[in-house]
Amino acid sequence: MTDAAHAHAHHTAPAPPAGWHRLTAPGWLRVLWVTPIGFGIGLGLPVLLRWAAGWHPLWDGTVLVTVELVTTPLFFLVGLGGFDYWAHYASGRPTRPEDHSGHGAYSWRDYFRVNTDHKVIGIQYVVTTIVFFCVGGLLAMLFRAELAQPGDQFFNPQTFNVLVSNHAALMIFLFIIPAFAGLGNYVIPLMLGAADMAFPRLNALSFWLLPMAGLILLAGMVTPGGGPSAGWTCYAPLCSHQPLGQVFFNMGVQWAGASSIMTALNFLVTIITMRAPGMTFWRMPLLVWANFTTSLLVVIATPFIAGSQFFVMFDRVMHTNFFEHSGGGYVLGYQHIFWFYSHPAVYIMMLPGFGIISEVIAVMSRKPVFGYRLMALSLMAILVLGFSVWAHHMFVAGMAGWLRVPMMVTSMVIAVPTGIKIFSWLATMWEGRIHFTTPMLFALGFLSMFVIGGLSGIYLASVPIDIHASDTYFIVAHIHYVLFGGSVFTIFAGIYYWFPKMTGRMYDERLGKLHFWLTFIGFNLTFFPMHYIGLQGMPRRVADYSSRFADVNLFVSIASFGLGASTLVFLYNMVKSWSHGERAPGNPWRALTLEWQVSSPPPIFNFDEIPQVVGHPYEYGVPGARHAIFGSEHPTPVTSEPVGTG
Amino acid sequence: MRRGSVLQLVGLGAVAAAITTAVALLIPWLPVSASKESTRIHFVYWFTTVIAIVVFAAVVAVLAYSVIHFRARPDDDSDGPPTHGHTTLEIVWTAIPAVLVTAISIVSAVVLAQNSRAGSTPLVVQVTAQQFAWEFTYPNGKRYGYLTLPKGRHVKLEITAKDVIHSFWVPEFSQKQDAVPGQTNTLVITPTRLGTFPVICTELCGLGHALMRSHADVVTTAKFADFMKHGAGGSPGLAVFQENGCGSCHTFRPAAATGKVGPDLDGLKASAAKANRGPLDKFIEESIVDPSAYVAPGFPDGVMPHIYKQQIQPGQLQQLVQYLSKGAK
Repeated sequence: MTDAAHAHAHHTAPAPPAGWHRLTAPGWLRVLWVTPIGFGIGLGLPVLLRWAAGWHPLWDGTVLVTVELVTTPLFFLVGLGGFDYWAHYASGRPTRPEDHSGHGAYSWRDYFRVNTDHKVIGIQYVVTTIVFFCVGGLLAMLFRAELAQPGDQFFNPQTFNVLVSNHAALMIFLFIIPAFAGLGNYVIPLMLGAADMAFPRLNALSFWLLPMAGLILLAGMVTPGGGPSAGWTCYAPLCSHQPLGQVFFNMGVQWAGASSIMTALNFLVTIITMRAPGMTFWRMPLLVWANFTTSLLVVIATPFIAGSQFFVMFDRVMHTNFFEHSGGGYVLGYQHIFWFYSHPAVYIMMLPGFGIISEVIAVMSRKPVFGYRLMALSLMAILVLGFSVWAHHMFVAGMAGWLRVPMMVTSMVIAVPTGIKIFSWLATMWEGRIHFTTPMLFALGFLSMFVIGGLSGIYLASVPIDIHASDTYFIVAHIHYVLFGGSVFTIFAGIYYWFPKMTGRMYDERLGKLHFWLTFIGFNLTFFPMHYIGLQGMPRRVADYSSRFADVNLFVSIASFGLGASTLVFLYNMVKSWSHGERAPGNPWRALTLEWQVSSPPPIFNFDEIPQVVGHPYEYGVPGARHAIFGSEHPTPVTSEPVGTG
Repeated sequence: MRRGSVLQLVGLGAVAAAITTAVALLIPWLPVSASKESTRIHFVYWFTTVIAIVVFAAVVAVLAYSVIHFRARPDDDSDGPPTHGHTTLEIVWTAIPAVLVTAISIVSAVVLAQNSRAGSTPLVVQVTAQQFAWEFTYPNGKRYGYLTLPKGRHVKLEITAKDVIHSFWVPEFSQKQDAVPGQTNTLVITPTRLGTFPVICTELCGLGHALMRSHADVVTTAKFADFMKHGAGGSPGLAVFQENGCGSCHTFRPAAATGKVGPDLDGLKASAAKANRGPLDKFIEESIVDPSAYVAPGFPDGVMPHIYKQQIQPGQLQQLVQYLSKGAK
């Protein structure tokens, strides 16, 4: 979209379809009759084929569920309108010229349809992922209730394992990874000076795959026979012999993974081809750099988890023997494939957060990012090294012995670029004018907690210590310091930071600070003691444990309820501020990056005039420095006033 | 930087380091060491901890100093000095962590090599894991559900699994190794302390994972020689009970077993009456070879493995059945 004038002609909501067209037009009415067709095909096709081939029984639950989990979501998406444009194009019918009817949100209903506006999609993503964050958190509080005392209280081991597995799966696949995709979706095109993402329809489709994946995972929990209970790592051969619910896990991950890959491709093409004039790579904000590297990680690594889950599904449904020793399969092969994705996934869950922190710290400290180029290069270093460390999850797995020391060294080396980032953020704050707003508090909380998580990571990178600590609560503590103290804090920082831009209203600063302190304290009380019980001998993923850990576990459970309750403050603040908050100015943080140079929320096609980028994005304190100029402005202005404060 | 601020920064760092050191020393983070390997691992742990404290204190000092001194007043709209970078500084904070992690890597690699050495005449014990029991086979062919080790001798465990992946861990030995179907992994332990230590499964292996426990007894060389000669003593039925790891899931007072996954075998007579599936002996035998034939109320079907029909010889099965029916109340 380059023709701004053309865009203006379509600023009104499209007329709703009338009469019979309401049933055939994309939307929820069409979902109502198309989804059952998909369900019927998923039911009929396997039965028909089995009948034709003479296989018995005709009704094989595992096969039916596997096929259903492909056809039903697919037809749901067809009904909603995810494929309309492509279907027209592929079938040779005249495609409708882009009328932008899928663009923008005029009422709350527009968030519940296939919308091609990256700003709408960004909000769809963030809200959806917060819903799953709350569900995942509730699951955690349920099993913390069970763990408050040794012995069985509320749940049997099967239910306990389901709760643990789905807590992790939802938090990873339905919250952290897509929450970053959502923030990136909203912010990246704006930061680049683009009107939208490169592939708006693909963007819409990748969002709608996500609630599908989440519902499949949740449906797995209540499947007759028992839900997925082999942990989020789903190690073969255990997970090939789990109750029916495990198939929901295998398939749910596929939908989430597909969504992730599509978004990453979209980010990559957008960043490479849609930068505004003058926006060279070395002038891109670090959030864009971070999402660029993350997207490379996603497109390279995510197919591996898809492969691992397909193999497990084949072993189960088609009785192949990829990981079945008795059939000549290679048991550890699963772990190699799984971690070849899931270690890079740790960076997929961290690098976008690094980007957010760079934005927040520079703006709130009123200083340029210290060592900008090294910050970008260290992201690339983590990207490359991230693919050479997967086997540090397998130090005790019995893999080839020679692989341990090289994998230890690469894992250790990753601490170097990570350290560079931490030290550079500290140097960015040094002698700054620090404004302790809520996003900045979360950034500082991230910085301190991530240092602890990084240092416990050094312990785990060391093979001998890992042999002791592997599969214990020390691991649980470490991963939460990295993913909660790390990723989740950065997500909160990002949500507060861009809340004014996304909603056009300011959040309540006092509630925001209250939320930060409750979360920060609750987080540490919950997860710090886990280091201790882990090293002392408490394994992870157990519903029952030695009575000598009873006191610490009771303490942790109580703290975790407090941590859970702190989220209520956040939700209240978001709902109240979005509906009744003070109107936000275009640039409340006096930031230089492009998303703040337009109104809050931005116009439907972002920029009425394409900006001309003339300098770096973080030139705070540099007299006369500009990141971009708009329209008729002369390219060499000399004013000491920051852009867009007026 | 002024001299006063340097002093203040160093002071903040010292306070942070002192608090962190106190946390590291006052809390007994690690279990007691009961093997040579564990002592070496504890050394790597403390070596890493010293480095971690220094790094953590440095970061916290700078963070705290910045929070105290660079706070902007609410009406302060000015910007900070436009520092873009400092090449020397950036080289320093790339180089120092690189050196530190290299040091940790070297120490770790050396300890790993030492901990993998079993000497020329180790005691070799085969460890077989299955849902949800451990089985330890000694060179004389005898099998037990728990581990007995002589103090001071290298022990080489050859670990494998029958069904899914399990993981062998004794926290006091600090050594851990996954048991993987179809392959044999080795683990070296050199016990240095007499006593009884828990054997824990640390890899999620199914419903009974949390209770897949056993114990390792470290005894004197003389006692161990006696153990190898005469076994643990007791009736042949008890030996079958122990070899098959029944006690890790079932409580049975005569065998001093306290497992809680499956039904309490002390109450076998009452259960048999309730099940009403023929005489006690027949009920016990059926429950072992075909656990799904009758499932005690309150217990899920499919937790007890269906492997004992093949695993236990007919003669041994009779010994086990007699042992259980005699000991049952």
